[in-house]
Amino acid sequence: MRALVVEDDPDVGPDLVRALTEAGFVVDLTGDGVDAWQKGGVEDYALAVLDLGLPKLDGLSVLRRWRAEGRELPVLILSARGDWTEKVEGIQAGADDYLAKPFAMGELVARARGLVRRRAGLSSPLLEVGRLIIDTARMRVLVDQRPVRLSPLEYRFLDVLAHAPGRVLTAGDIAEQLHGTADAADANAIEALVLRLRRKIGSDIIETRRGFGYTLGGS
Amino acid sequence: MIRDSLRVRLLGGAAVAILVALVLAGIGMAWLFQRHIELREAASLIRDGKLLAGALSLDAQERPVIDSLPTESRYAKAASGLYWQVTNSAGSAHSDSLWDQSLPRPRAADALEWRVEHVRGPFRESLLMVERLIEPAQGSSFVLIQVATSDSALRAAGREFNREMAASLCVLWFFLFAAAYLQVKLGLRPLALVKQHLEQLRRNPAARLPAVYPREIAPLADAINALADAREEDLQRARKRAGDLAHSLKTPLAALAAQTRRAREAGAENALRGVDRALGAIGATLETELARARAAAVRSVGTSHGADIGTLLENIISVVERTERGERIVFEVDIPTELRVPVAAEDLTELLGALVENAVRYAHRRVRISGAAQASASILRVEDDGPGIDQNRSEAVIVRGARLDEAGPGHGLGLAIVNDLVAITGGTIAFGRAGLGGLEVCLRWPASSESEEPVSRPFHWLMRR
Repeated sequence: MRALVVEDDPDVGPDLVRALTEAGFVVDLTGDGVDAWQKGGVEDYALAVLDLGLPKLDGLSVLRRWRAEGRELPVLILSARGDWTEKVEGIQAGADDYLAKPFAMGELVARARGLVRRRAGLSSPLLEVGRLIIDTARMRVLVDQRPVRLSPLEYRFLDVLAHAPGRVLTAGDIAEQLHGTADAADANAIEALVLRLRRKIGSDIIETRRGFGYTLGGS
Repeated sequence: MIRDSLRVRLLGGAAVAILVALVLAGIGMAWLFQRHIELREAASLIRDGKLLAGALSLDAQERPVIDSLPTESRYAKAASGLYWQVTNSAGSAHSDSLWDQSLPRPRAADALEWRVEHVRGPFRESLLMVERLIEPAQGSSFVLIQVATSDSALRAAGREFNREMAASLCVLWFFLFAAAYLQVKLGLRPLALVKQHLEQLRRNPAARLPAVYPREIAPLADAINALADAREEDLQRARKRAGDLAHSLKTPLAALAAQTRRAREAGAENALRGVDRALGAIGATLETELARARAAAVRSVGTSHGADIGTLLENIISVVERTERGERIVFEVDIPTELRVPVAAEDLTELLGALVENAVRYAHRRVRISGAAQASASILRVEDDGPGIDQNRSEAVIVRGARLDEAGPGHGLGLAIVNDLVAITGGTIAFGRAGLGGLEVCLRWPASSESEEPVSRPFHWLMRR
């Protein structure tokens, strides 16, 4: 898997390259924003680690341009500021994760792996169930052709239901698939998740069968 | 007291000035009235005097004789208060009312025109007298004609006029003072307006005084706006300085960490453990100072108008749910759309970010953020379904800004920021047991008693109270 590291500091950059190489990535390093933008636009990376304070073109602008051009690779942004306003800005610009400097390299590698895993752990590109279209490549759903922004957990919930079309899954089943365990607290959590999802995508996509569980409506 | 109050100064000045003006006016009018009635009386006396002059002749001994007497009955009654007398060097004639007395001689040697005098007369009266010298025939000696009347009636009339006038002037003084009072009230109203605007400016540093003041106050308003501009610049500068500090220090820290890693690989383990510890300490200190600088830049106790708390929370959640821990958590958000807290949007983001992150760290599955807009207070609650906290130890959470079973840099400093921000904006934090089973952090701000109107809305100073 290829990774792009965009960092202009002469010590941190090579260090990132080394750590990610040890983790199994084939890493390209670049030190300025324009070069990063071009590389990201042309090459196929499984992951990008992007510092925000870059010469020539700042990190957020690079990210926004990538997203505008349809480059959907997972991006982990690095920054010195560490305040929530910047974190929110980064996520809104299209980042998938955020790490504040100084960080432990182990933490960064773990997060990088997490990002790739999340993206890879999903099956066929487009799943269509009734009014719902699940775009696994972009981790996005479309309700009546209208894209809806979901959290990873919400997305995986729908993914689980979509992979069992016509079947009713209990809260325990769903929790088991999402978290690997299923206890009483999980069932309540699933209920809360369904409530939140319904607010985002409408109330008739997920049907509740009282006493049994949940299923996707229209399947 | 004069020094402290414009109103007292203005009203005091008005009261005294009006009083002085009215007193002078009163004196003037009294004098004019007296003169007027005296002149009228004198005119009447002169008429009689002319009659006497017309009827005057000299007898064989050159003594003055009046051929036809004035018919006024008072001339016939003794001490009636109305007298006439004609005199020359040979003798005199006078009205019966004089009886055996005579009118005083004139002060001036010659009086060829009618002259009006105030004299003391017989019978202990004060008299108004007209007199002149006339020549009854060519070559004969001059005859002095005098006609006088008691002025007691005139004086009485004068006194009565003065009394009534004084009363009217008093009433007039009250009316004029009331008018002055209203005038001062209207005049000072823009100052009350300035006070109101300043209060709103204090709470929201982005606001400025609107340009609705009278010319005389406009320079003051401009100066205040300039001050507010300078203050906002200071705030921006403080924020920027914190950001610059971060950039200039944290990247070298990361570089140092990279160096130790390299050196460790080359085998210098022991020495590097010490370096790592030192780096950790520097990093922690840096975080603390930055947090303090951020909290200190919060001088704006602004209402979060424009910042919908719900949207802010969704932004924070969108960050947290992408982290390793966050992606396993189900978030519940229950914030009424009309909820407002007296914290500016940027600072509220930091505050809620720190709390949500903390909740996620300990939650099992669920984190709930709720709020309530009560009449007396605005409330925000962050709950998790984790292990919760021992009630006795909740103090330590605020003091050290850390959960007690915690270690590692960066943890808990987020809660130190929460404490600072809540305290500066006048709120309180309380810890308790969440309905979900874990920790509940409850933030509470008492409702503001001031008006919530943003300052930039123009309003007409005449219309407002």
